[in-house]
Amino acid sequence: MPLIDRKAAEIADPQGLTLYPAADLPASLSGPSGVILSPDADLALLAPHLPALAVVTITFPKFRDGRGFTIARSLRQHYGYAGDIRATGHFLPEQFGFLIACGFTSFETPATHGPAQFAAALAAPHQPGQLLRRTLGRALEPV
Amino acid sequence: MALQVITGNRLADGVSVWFAGAEGWAEHVEQACAYAAPEIEAALAQAMPPDAELQVVEIRAVEVVRENGTLMPVAHREQIRARGPSVRADLPAGVWRDPAAPLPPLPTAHSSSPFAGIYRYDEYDRDFLRQRAREFGAMVERRRKGELSEEEFKPLRLMNGVYLQLHAYMLRIAIPYGVLSATQLRQLAYVARHYDRGYGHFTTRQNIQFNWLRLEDVPAALAALAEANIHGIQTSGNCIRNTTTDEFAGAAADEIVDPRLYAEIIRQWSTDHPEFTYLPRKFKIAIVGAGHDRAAVRVHDIGIEAYRNAEGAPVFRIFAGGGLGRTPYVAVKLREDLPVPELLRYCEAILRVYNALGRRDNIYKARIKILIREMKPEAFIKLVEDEYAALPADYCLLTDELVQAVAARFPAPDLPRQDGGVLKAAMLDDRALARWVKQNTHPHKAPGYVSAVISLKPVGGIAGDASADEMDIVADLADKYSLGEIRVSHVQNLVLPHVAKDDVPALFKDLVAAGLAEDNIGLVTDIIACPGMDYCALATARSIPVAQRIAERLAPRQHEIGTLHVNISGCINACGHHHVGHIGLLGVDKNGEEVYQITLGGAADEKAAIGKIIGPAVPTAHVPDAIAALMDAYLAVRAPGERFIDTYRRLGAAPFKDAIYATH
Ligand code: HEM
Ligand code: SF4
Repeated sequence: MPLIDRKAAEIADPQGLTLYPAADLPASLSGPSGVILSPDADLALLAPHLPALAVVTITFPKFRDGRGFTIARSLRQHYGYAGDIRATGHFLPEQFGFLIACGFTSFETPATHGPAQFAAALAAPHQPGQLLRRTLGRALEPV
Repeated sequence: MALQVITGNRLADGVSVWFAGAEGWAEHVEQACAYAAPEIEAALAQAMPPDAELQVVEIRAVEVVRENGTLMPVAHREQIRARGPSVRADLPAGVWRDPAAPLPPLPTAHSSSPFAGIYRYDEYDRDFLRQRAREFGAMVERRRKGELSEEEFKPLRLMNGVYLQLHAYMLRIAIPYGVLSATQLRQLAYVARHYDRGYGHFTTRQNIQFNWLRLEDVPAALAALAEANIHGIQTSGNCIRNTTTDEFAGAAADEIVDPRLYAEIIRQWSTDHPEFTYLPRKFKIAIVGAGHDRAAVRVHDIGIEAYRNAEGAPVFRIFAGGGLGRTPYVAVKLREDLPVPELLRYCEAILRVYNALGRRDNIYKARIKILIREMKPEAFIKLVEDEYAALPADYCLLTDELVQAVAARFPAPDLPRQDGGVLKAAMLDDRALARWVKQNTHPHKAPGYVSAVISLKPVGGIAGDASADEMDIVADLADKYSLGEIRVSHVQNLVLPHVAKDDVPALFKDLVAAGLAEDNIGLVTDIIACPGMDYCALATARSIPVAQRIAERLAPRQHEIGTLHVNISGCINACGHHHVGHIGLLGVDKNGEEVYQITLGGAADEKAAIGKIIGPAVPTAHVPDAIAALMDAYLAVRAPGERFIDTYRRLGAAPFKDAIYATH
């Protein structure tokens, strides 16, 4: 599936990237590596590996399953993870803004919703965002 | 021999349609093709080509009988779909509106409510809502073109307040913390009159529901409402819903902290929350600040009680995991004395734990109440506290500056009038007025004023329904007597919050003229009833007719009976709060017959309790007799001035059980 960034531009994986399912993550990593998380992942177990991971991929089994949003925010806020957080699985262009706000930086677009639909979502005049953003300022944004 | 027809609802307008073979979909069941059992599979295949979903949704076969040469479905629900609501013979099912008909200008084009003490929305807020209306229009377009499947579209439309019901789409509009200006009410009347069939239904969650929307009209209706700063955002779906509060907030004499300020902050924080919009299940927050719980906070996912600490600063008591539905629970207390700056942070911590761990495998076990019980409250509280402690220090901090910025947009109403004694004098020789004042007014913090409740429970009427004309009348009365402000109560009535005592006789006269002077607030005919099977796709029974029959039967004795909350739900989802009614009625289907389970002893206030089932379910026709017998038993044993609920608490169920089951 095409991979896009936050501007809905198609991008390529870093050269030589290896993605491991969480259970198969080797204790020491060589070369650019990433991990694929299911939505019930335990981040405390993953924490020691985070500094060495270029990509954390979070799976959406169905777009209605919103656990991935909390995983991404926790990675950014609790664990200070600064690498690429990638969405994969089934999610909708309608959710693009929320995914970005929670800290996702790359997106493996689902088969039924190609990059063009995500680009269109981005071009719409309304970009979702909490009303309180205006009053609260930066404190609402992910750190 | 059993015959079947194929039915569904049309995507574009939600109208129930019936498959007529080669002629496609017809609007009347009599036009349908009827199939014998062996033919039905082939017929369903014919009715459901791969792109069927672009025209008709929820396609299925239902059983029918041929009666006097015409077809009629066997199940009550399907009969109601074919005919229209049983309680509105004037509104047959089917197409009722010509979308090409021109509409008059919006009320907001020529009026505004400059006085209402409501939150001052600005152009930014309106733009936000206009864009959301357009965004919903784009979703409808994508659905029609097939870019979104019905499965994908459904949660998105729900999040904009759009349900598919029996006869059409239903649009649920939030009335944030129950506060409306006269202009907003006129705009709602406009939508009721032109996009719906002339009325709306006020609900227990401080929402209004329109029952007859065409999907294609919804973006326009939402755009019209946006001009008056009202919307349907997050009134359904698995997200944070409209935050509710006490209908007398900001006016009540017993108020300790005005909850509207915090309810507005929660509204702004929860609207389009990027992390918490795809939760395991719906999430309802209620807040109260009166010492007395008028918002049922203990049966909400998060309940908040605002009070003052020893220094006089507002602080919060936080509850979580209350709820009704099929597993009713009274909430557990998580925290005392939470300071204002921490309010949203603590809510974030609760929601983060819930979003990560709430069950997603079973819709009936997905609410936070189940998570808390399954993992035990102590363990849940520990997780929340850990999560809370780990939040970045300034994340979602409610600074004083921010609270002041929101507070500045709640202008304090100007309440200069003193009590000139007009009301007292008038009550001396007008008993009807005196009775209405006793029953329908609430003490105001300004001594020259009261809050007046307008009952939407006329005996024999439909609880919570108001016609477009009635809405316009109430809007005018609000302008005349209540600084242009109206409240929607969680028992489905309307409130004029700031009425000068000296004006009350004139207001009462106007209400009598409008037929809106029912003096039954808090009495047995002030029944909470959900829409039930006359409208609702999930219902197992009709709640409205039962409420009507009970009210008719007991109206002559209601003042003698005194305070009594009767709550009726048309299915286990408990939208009529039957678990927390002093008397609760739950309609269930027993082999095709509607019967009612009776519970006693529920309460939604600070003594919140879940009612107990008293015995076998009662057939619909016997319900008024059963309640009347219950009342006889109560009147025979009550201590002077004792409310039914207190008699029940004193004596238990036995005397009432005997009374109900002795009658048949
Ligand atoms: C007519 C369309 C409606 C539908 C399809 C609907 C659906 C539901 C469902 C499925 C539940 C159960 C949730 C659960 O247990 O997890 C529920 C609960 C509830 N609904 Fe409704 N409802 C409707 C109308 C209303 C109305 C008219 C009211 C107000 C009168 C209302 C207020 C509530 C309340 C207060 C609860 C229980 C509190 C809770 O535990 O969430 N609903 N509704
Ligand atoms: S209780 Fe049941 S019948 Fe009544 S509105 Fe809720 S879902 Fe519908």
